Amino acid sequence: MIRLYDWELSVNCYKQRLMMGILGVDYESVPVDFYPGREHKSPEFAEINPLGHIPVLVDGDYSLRDAHAILVYLAAKYDPSRRWYPVDEPELLGETAQWMLFAEATTNTASAARLHVNLGYDFDIEECRAGAHRLFRVLDEHLWFRERDGLGWVAGAEHPTIADIAIFPDVMLSEEGGISRLDYPALRRWTDRVRRIPGFVVMPGIFPVGDGPERADPLSIA
Amino acid sequence: MSAVLTELRAAWHPVAAGTDLPPRHAFQGELLGRELVAWRADDGFVNVWENRCLHRGVRLSIGTNDGTELVCRYHGWRYASRSAGCTYIPAHPADAPARTICNRTFPAVERYGLVWTGEDPVGEVPDVAVLEGGHTDLRHLPFDAPADLVMAELGSLRFAPVGSPSGEPVGVDVVEIGPLTVALTASDGSAESSVVVFVQPVDAAHCVVRPVLAGVVDAADLRAVRRHHATALETLRTSVEEIARTLPGPEPYEVLLERAPVHVADPAPPVAGRTAPLRVRVARKWRTSAEVMAFDLESIGDPLPTHQPGAHIDVHLPNGLVRQYSLTNGPGDTASYVIGVKREPESRGGSVALHDTVREGDVLAISEPRNNFVLRRDSPRTVLIAGGIGLTPLLAMARALHRMGAGFELHIFARSDEHLPFADVLETLGSSVHTHLGLDPAATGVTLGELLAEPASTDQVYVCGPGPMLDAARSLAAAAGWADEAVHFEYFANTTEIDVSSTFEVSLARSALTVTVPAGSTILEVMRENGVAVPSSCEQGACGTCSVAVIEGQPDHQDVYLSESERARGDRMMVCVSRARGDRLVLDV
Amino acid sequence: MAGSRDSVTAAASDVCADPAMVDQWYAIAALEEVPADTPAATVLLGVDVGFGVDGSGGPVAWRAAGSRGAEPLPVREDFGYLWTSVGDPPELFAVPEVDEADRRTLNAATIGIATSTGRAIENFLDMAHFPYVHTGVLGAEPYTEVAEYSIEMRDGEIWATGCRFYQPLAAAASTDGTVVDYVYRVPHPACAMLYKSAPTDDGRMDAIGIFVQPVGEEFVRAHLFLSLVDDVSADAGIRRFQQTIFGQDKPILENQYPKRLPLDPRAETPIRADRSAIAYRRWLSDLGVTYGVIPA
Repeated sequence: MIRLYDWELSVNCYKQRLMMGILGVDYESVPVDFYPGREHKSPEFAEINPLGHIPVLVDGDYSLRDAHAILVYLAAKYDPSRRWYPVDEPELLGETAQWMLFAEATTNTASAARLHVNLGYDFDIEECRAGAHRLFRVLDEHLWFRERDGLGWVAGAEHPTIADIAIFPDVMLSEEGGISRLDYPALRRWTDRVRRIPGFVVMPGIFPVGDGPERADPLSIA
Repeated sequence: MSAVLTELRAAWHPVAAGTDLPPRHAFQGELLGRELVAWRADDGFVNVWENRCLHRGVRLSIGTNDGTELVCRYHGWRYASRSAGCTYIPAHPADAPARTICNRTFPAVERYGLVWTGEDPVGEVPDVAVLEGGHTDLRHLPFDAPADLVMAELGSLRFAPVGSPSGEPVGVDVVEIGPLTVALTASDGSAESSVVVFVQPVDAAHCVVRPVLAGVVDAADLRAVRRHHATALETLRTSVEEIARTLPGPEPYEVLLERAPVHVADPAPPVAGRTAPLRVRVARKWRTSAEVMAFDLESIGDPLPTHQPGAHIDVHLPNGLVRQYSLTNGPGDTASYVIGVKREPESRGGSVALHDTVREGDVLAISEPRNNFVLRRDSPRTVLIAGGIGLTPLLAMARALHRMGAGFELHIFARSDEHLPFADVLETLGSSVHTHLGLDPAATGVTLGELLAEPASTDQVYVCGPGPMLDAARSLAAAAGWADEAVHFEYFANTTEIDVSSTFEVSLARSALTVTVPAGSTILEVMRENGVAVPSSCEQGACGTCSVAVIEGQPDHQDVYLSESERARGDRMMVCVSRARGDRLVLDV
Repeated sequence: MAGSRDSVTAAASDVCADPAMVDQWYAIAALEEVPADTPAATVLLGVDVGFGVDGSGGPVAWRAAGSRGAEPLPVREDFGYLWTSVGDPPELFAVPEVDEADRRTLNAATIGIATSTGRAIENFLDMAHFPYVHTGVLGAEPYTEVAEYSIEMRDGEIWATGCRFYQPLAAAASTDGTVVDYVYRVPHPACAMLYKSAPTDDGRMDAIGIFVQPVGEEFVRAHLFLSLVDDVSADAGIRRFQQTIFGQDKPILENQYPKRLPLDPRAETPIRADRSAIAYRRWLSDLGVTYGVIPA
């Protein structure tokens, strides 16, 4: 059984829960008292991850840290369709990797702002928010043009990739960091689409969206 | 309020692109400092409302668009498309929401690919001649800059006309065609194109720039044209935001928050008379089974009032008769009322008049919907049992439960397939529908017995049909151990008897009027019937709006507003729910 | 960018002049999180507050972070928290449960929320949202009805008794659905308690508290206090459960508008299920609270 060293309110841990939920992978969640217990900084946890952060995924004898690396592993290993991590399509794989790096940036801005507001982490909140808005403007425009090509996902395919999973929680929880999404309607529509992927699971702060339209065209109007 | 703001509130503004409202999405927008939720119902209707649930102020844009209703995320309150009336409050499943619980709506028009609305817009959405020959939607951009600054800077936008051989951006001619609208024309000698730019004042410091390209672009060029314009606008945005950062922040717009609506009773409706304030047109009349005609009644003028599953209306017929018919529509479906009318051989003229005399296009007078057959939706299993035309209220209930994904069974007893009304609607309800055809009374009794056997404590049953069937169902349910309050009936005729054995008198001191309040009526209702107006709001004894001073007599407090000591003092009462302990009250009204 | 619509944590104009709020004790940190070495900073009612440990190891707090000793603030240690005041506070309310030896008392979380004190307390008193916000945990459709319950004033505190609600998974130690009994108590404008049937011991009740630290009028730090009859679950599991609940409420609170609690009963539409909130709003009016509310 896969074990995920996990904290319920962590966006990076949620990315793994979401991916495994969608792929139908069974796993055991090992709760880490990240806050207020700071268990991830304990000597015992250093054995699991010397960098002292979560998530960590342990699959049999294999252990892996860093949220976006774990997504690569999960999709490559447990998605027989090879679409979530499209190793057989070099262009798409390149785009997926590009947007995975974008997700590092949303994590370091939008999700950092959230940690500042929620738990008082010492970040430059104004810079985090301004950085998140710069990224959201780029992503909103990107998704708007995708929609005009009849495509609904971050990388240019008809099927979502791990890049959608990596970016989604940072966007969806941005308002907890005080970052409004009022100016990003294409981004908001995309969060609806992600929430309608079969197997989608929620985390605190993210609500389900209800049934979707029957047609898949992202611009469809009844 | 400034003159500029007054003018802006009286104007139409685009607040979204039509493509911003795909099905089952709730769009978050803002105009003049007021937050809006915009959503498209499955029938295409665009709703633009204040973005707050009336209950606790939560943004409705984080709720769910279920195709006909918008559901609040916090407590599951449901609001109907078009009317924005509340159709269901899950915390109190046995009570129909007060009709006064209705969100603030704004008019919505789709034109030039944009969704238009306004605080209180005068006239029509303005015509833009250059867009009448066809248009192409471009990327819109939010600006962190005030609308008037953006208007002043729009002339520095540069773009290449469609079909330009060089593709190089050129300067534009600017024609102001409205207070926040300009037409920009770029020409390079061989090609010319115009972009109409609408500037939406989001709040005092922000706006959204919504350009629309005149003319229809070849599909092959569309992506490149849109890219080009998006880049041009982005360049403008960078420079305008640079300027805005150097300016002092403008004064925020003053926004008037809607309060919960306070209902003031209509003055003096005729005592005991039925009123028919609504006028509807028969949009469609069709035969839905061997004996049943269906009528689709659409509003003339104002939107129809919100109705709940189980509700009925009075229909005033051309021959002077008044008849009650249940609404079959699903919840939130307030575009029209759909009723089914069975031709009764022994009819005194009601159903015959509707069948034979009323035609499509005719205008009828109807009452507002009333509901004596309230559907609880908090049961894991709801059993709906219909005899023939008794299907009509249960059809509305089944649609509500189906839409919510609740567990229910709809059993219909009819003579044959040809006698099954609304078969097309039944098909959409899937495997929850069970038909029982051609059963004699004895076989009907046996089947009813099976359906009602072994109820769980949380089950609810609703029965509507002919009298003998209801009587049979009632006794079978009692015998099977159903709790009284879990069994709900509606007879075809409205036989709600007022229990006159427990009446009390209310003297209205200032109005010099004494009225009798029968069981089943509230003091508030009786006062209204007698033309005495008292403000009220929640009509549940929760908000305190209808508080009235008590001069004499002991109130029987049933509200949740007054404290224990205030109750004990007995000098105030909420007339929407509270009653008299004795046989008389004197109120300071 | 888009800065004006982003929520703020506190503004200078938020310094509180409302005696009904100033003259109170507020929890500002869990005692185990008071740093032993460097002083920590927080904001209470718009006032910069420093706190830390003095030479004898006891917690101390002072006005204006960084200038230790400039103006000491009163402190007390209760229920596992450091409490202080920027005014002249009365005696703090009692939580007798913490003295029961077999209870587990801990801080489940301290979380910043962009809302007012009143909105946070009112949400804590609310049962009707369980099926919609805490779906599958504290409530589940179709079990949505809020049965009638009682409200009374006891010694200047609001008590809501006889509350019952169906819950599919009521606490960390629960395994299936049950109807749970609740008692709510509001002893302080910024603090509320709830007592609910303990899943591991039929006769006793778990105590859960929310102690709100008003940072500004529209931003709070909420301290979530637990005193549980639970010898089954580990701390991490207990905290995970309560933090999940808290995390689910946060986006609701941050999407309420206006953020300040309106005290006029007609400003929002109350229903019978809201009688504890109705009593709370009226009580705040009676106390004359103006900070973080829209007075009636």
